[in-house]
Amino acid sequence: MQDTISGRIYKFGDNVNSDIIIAGRYLIYIEPAQLAKHAFEMLGEGFPEKLRSYDILVAGRNFGCGSAREQASTAIQGLGIKAVVAASFARTFYRNAINDGLPIVECPALYETVATNDEIAIDLAKGVISHAGKEYGFPQIPESVGKILKLGGLANYLKSTL
Amino acid sequence: MSQTIAEKILAARAGLSHVTPGQIVDAYPDLVMSHTATWRSVSVMKKIGAKRLYDPNRLAIVLDHISPAKTEKYAADQQTSRNFAREYGIEKFYDVDAGIAHLVLMEHGHVKPGDLIVGTDSHCTIYGALGALGSGIGYTEVASVWVTGKLWMKVPTTIKLTLSGRFAAGVSAKDLMLHLIGTLGADGCGYKSVEFYGSALPAMSISERMTMANLAMEMGAKCVFVPPDDATREWLLPRLRDPASYRPVLADADASYEQSIDVDLSTLAPMVACPHQVENTKPVTEVLGTRIDQAFLGSCANGKYEDLAVAAGILKGRKIDPRVRLIVTPGSKQIMLEAMRTGVLATLMESGALVTNPGCGACAGDGGMMADGEVSLSTANRNFVGRMGSNKSSIYLASPATLAASALQGAIADPRDLL
Amino acid sequence: MNMVEKILARRSGQKSVAPGDVVVADIDLMVMHDLSANFVMKVFENEMKGASIRDPSKLVFAFDHNFAPATREAAEALAAVRKFAAKHEVQHLFDSGCGSIHHVIMEAGLVAPGMIVIGCDSHTPIYGALGAFATGVGNNSMAALGFAHGKCWFKVPETIKIHFHGTPARAVQPRDVSQFVVGKLGEDGAIYKALEYAGPYIESLDVNDRALFPLQAIDVGGKCGFVNPDEKTLRHAQQLLGTRRAAARFELFQNDADCRYAEVIDIDVSRIEPQVACPPTVGNVKPIDAAVGTPINVAEAGGSTGGRLSDIRTLARCLANRRIHPGVRLQVVPASRDIYLAALKEGLFETLHTAGANIFPPSAGSNQAFNMGALAEDEVMISTQARNFPGRNGHPKARHFLASALTVAASALTGKITDPRTLEDL
Repeated sequence: MQDTISGRIYKFGDNVNSDIIIAGRYLIYIEPAQLAKHAFEMLGEGFPEKLRSYDILVAGRNFGCGSAREQASTAIQGLGIKAVVAASFARTFYRNAINDGLPIVECPALYETVATNDEIAIDLAKGVISHAGKEYGFPQIPESVGKILKLGGLANYLKSTL
Repeated sequence: MSQTIAEKILAARAGLSHVTPGQIVDAYPDLVMSHTATWRSVSVMKKIGAKRLYDPNRLAIVLDHISPAKTEKYAADQQTSRNFAREYGIEKFYDVDAGIAHLVLMEHGHVKPGDLIVGTDSHCTIYGALGALGSGIGYTEVASVWVTGKLWMKVPTTIKLTLSGRFAAGVSAKDLMLHLIGTLGADGCGYKSVEFYGSALPAMSISERMTMANLAMEMGAKCVFVPPDDATREWLLPRLRDPASYRPVLADADASYEQSIDVDLSTLAPMVACPHQVENTKPVTEVLGTRIDQAFLGSCANGKYEDLAVAAGILKGRKIDPRVRLIVTPGSKQIMLEAMRTGVLATLMESGALVTNPGCGACAGDGGMMADGEVSLSTANRNFVGRMGSNKSSIYLASPATLAASALQGAIADPRDLL
Repeated sequence: MNMVEKILARRSGQKSVAPGDVVVADIDLMVMHDLSANFVMKVFENEMKGASIRDPSKLVFAFDHNFAPATREAAEALAAVRKFAAKHEVQHLFDSGCGSIHHVIMEAGLVAPGMIVIGCDSHTPIYGALGAFATGVGNNSMAALGFAHGKCWFKVPETIKIHFHGTPARAVQPRDVSQFVVGKLGEDGAIYKALEYAGPYIESLDVNDRALFPLQAIDVGGKCGFVNPDEKTLRHAQQLLGTRRAAARFELFQNDADCRYAEVIDIDVSRIEPQVACPPTVGNVKPIDAAVGTPINVAEAGGSTGGRLSDIRTLARCLANRRIHPGVRLQVVPASRDIYLAALKEGLFETLHTAGANIFPPSAGSNQAFNMGALAEDEVMISTQARNFPGRNGHPKARHFLASALTVAASALTGKITDPRTLEDL
């Protein structure tokens, strides 16, 4: 995992749920590429393809609420998304993202100010997001958990420890 | 130092004398539940090259979501799970006929007060109905716990919910929870533990408590507790292999709560969650007459025997509206058997219902799919867009009583009018 | 003339017909399940734009493959048929969970002796057990001739008579005998022919058991099958019809004493052993020895050939106070709502449920695996279903054996295909 992630954002609202991210009928897949084909397809035709041109997702409160399905974070990674910034996350999504090696950042202040297509830069090491010349701090993931993310997810972490 | 239930359980399972909110601990769960997702965890184990389980007795596997298989892919995945259970000697393995994992595990005495239970399902919070800490995790992490026996957990702050009064006729635990979710929002208890208290609790059945602990997840709760009492003991003791293992964990009297909320049950009315968010709740009186095509009675929230019996009480001697497809999915084999014995199943069939085999059923997308523009009323716990078929269909959530009354009318109806 | 010839003559307005004649006859009933109704409806709407249905009261749609649609596409298909039925005033729509098409239709009292029934389902000849002429037709014939004109053309078939005599041995069920016929004649043994099932053995059976024979007429290539209607047919039909509207068209056509047959086959039932249709086809019928010992994963009593009350009773009798083999998933699928309720009230479900069976809604069950019945590559199923073709139940390499309810019960107990005669108290 890189310490800095930058790119163009796509912005969602509050309570984006697990079923919107990936519908239950696709849980027969676990591969990122397969899942990505159907990620967010509830939002309209061509949506998965459209999201591929963005680097970072930004959302409001409670992103990923609903099911414990890990494929929600896997599908987002499959789209080539490098990080998700939200005002808050549902806890199961939060855990799954870390375990999948998908960087997630809680930053309510940023959510208020950005719009789709804005460019932002996230410095995970410093805990700062830069946008339009301003900086927004965010709480960093605790070190004990951060090492899972650093190794690209729980599977890699386990491989390194077993 | 005074502690809440979540703090006590996490401290005990992390081998610590006490913990404080915000602290991250390595905790050792008593039980790891995996359902239809089991094969994915098996594939993670293969991927990381792990061969040994920390403790096969701590695994519970229940094939509940798509039961039985609808496609050869599901059949093959279920076979993977079955073979894994056989290979590793998993005693708590329940096949596609058993029912919904949560209900099956509780009915079989695999859940007891003070347990820490994680599983591949967000509604693991339901174990709090028996005083256990239940929380959902993903399949990779399940594989990790299988192998290492532990996982990191952040100690949550706790919200205290105090219930007084009694439900009016036609109002139930489902309405209470829809009221709370609507009031507090889908993240009103985000990352937090919830403890229920109050003068109303002793009279609430284990079934009602399950509905409460289950649905608290829909306001973001990490875990939920109904502190064990006489009703818990009475329900659980005959189901436990080792009755001496029944050791309730209660909060200290002066434990600290982040927030306290009081609810007088007698003030509540039947509630409905409208499309496409659970928090989008309204009193049933505001949506009366909304046409429905399908009604689903089932799920870990409301597919229990009491739920079926409440619906049967309303449907008895009546016929559902011919425009409505009423699908009833008993939550487990034991529930179905009880419904057979008491005549509840016959009453439901005679009213025109379709009674399926036990399991998650339509709540998990197993049958009951809807076409464009169709409307479903459901006793389940989620109404997200497209969850039951077309993304141009919609789902309303309500109690079993409201569901039964509505199936008779062909439109959302107030159960109090039929009592 | 025999029963079939007499019905075809009457309904085409002729005094007599002979094999080889082509007649255009009035249809009394047109039956379709959820899958075929959807196809026929599309043909009717796309190919015959603007046409109207001559007599919608003669149409029956019974949704039996999807008891609760498992996919959005299935849901859309059912919704489309419901809409079509409402638009064209088709009143006989039995929605999902009604049961298995032909059992539902018979129980509803829609078929009377003397009728001509066509169906977009190959097992339509089942109504030949009720004194009707019934045959399967294609979607195009149904839409163009049936829907639009209420008529259909038929070539009068030659008739093969199968004469059954003798008493079956213990543990040999009517299903074993009907499967034996398929094995003996072969899948092309009676192409275009009518099959008459006769003799003391057939006479001894009740109408529900007789129905297994014409039901399987298609499995030997037959156009239709029938039992010369007798007192039992009469009573059974009267019971089903009561005062229902179809009763008005009730007419018993019995064979003339001197009617002629293309062939007469003699079968001594006492020499028949329990039979199994082995993969990959319904015609691969063998005495059970050929399959005994094959480990099974799924056992099912269900489908038009095995979800009858008698089948469920057989199963419950065998499994009472026992547990099925832990490696077996046993599925019980009643063929109609009435059967479901009867079995429930008789306590049969409680017995079966306790023995480890899973009770499913009235439907076609695992037939074509819409809501259930998908198998993994190396899995094996034994069932009372009517078809076992590869790929019909999940993976094309999965194997499906067809047998009597008794053999299914015995196999569910042991976890492998079992000769019911070897279990002493069955």
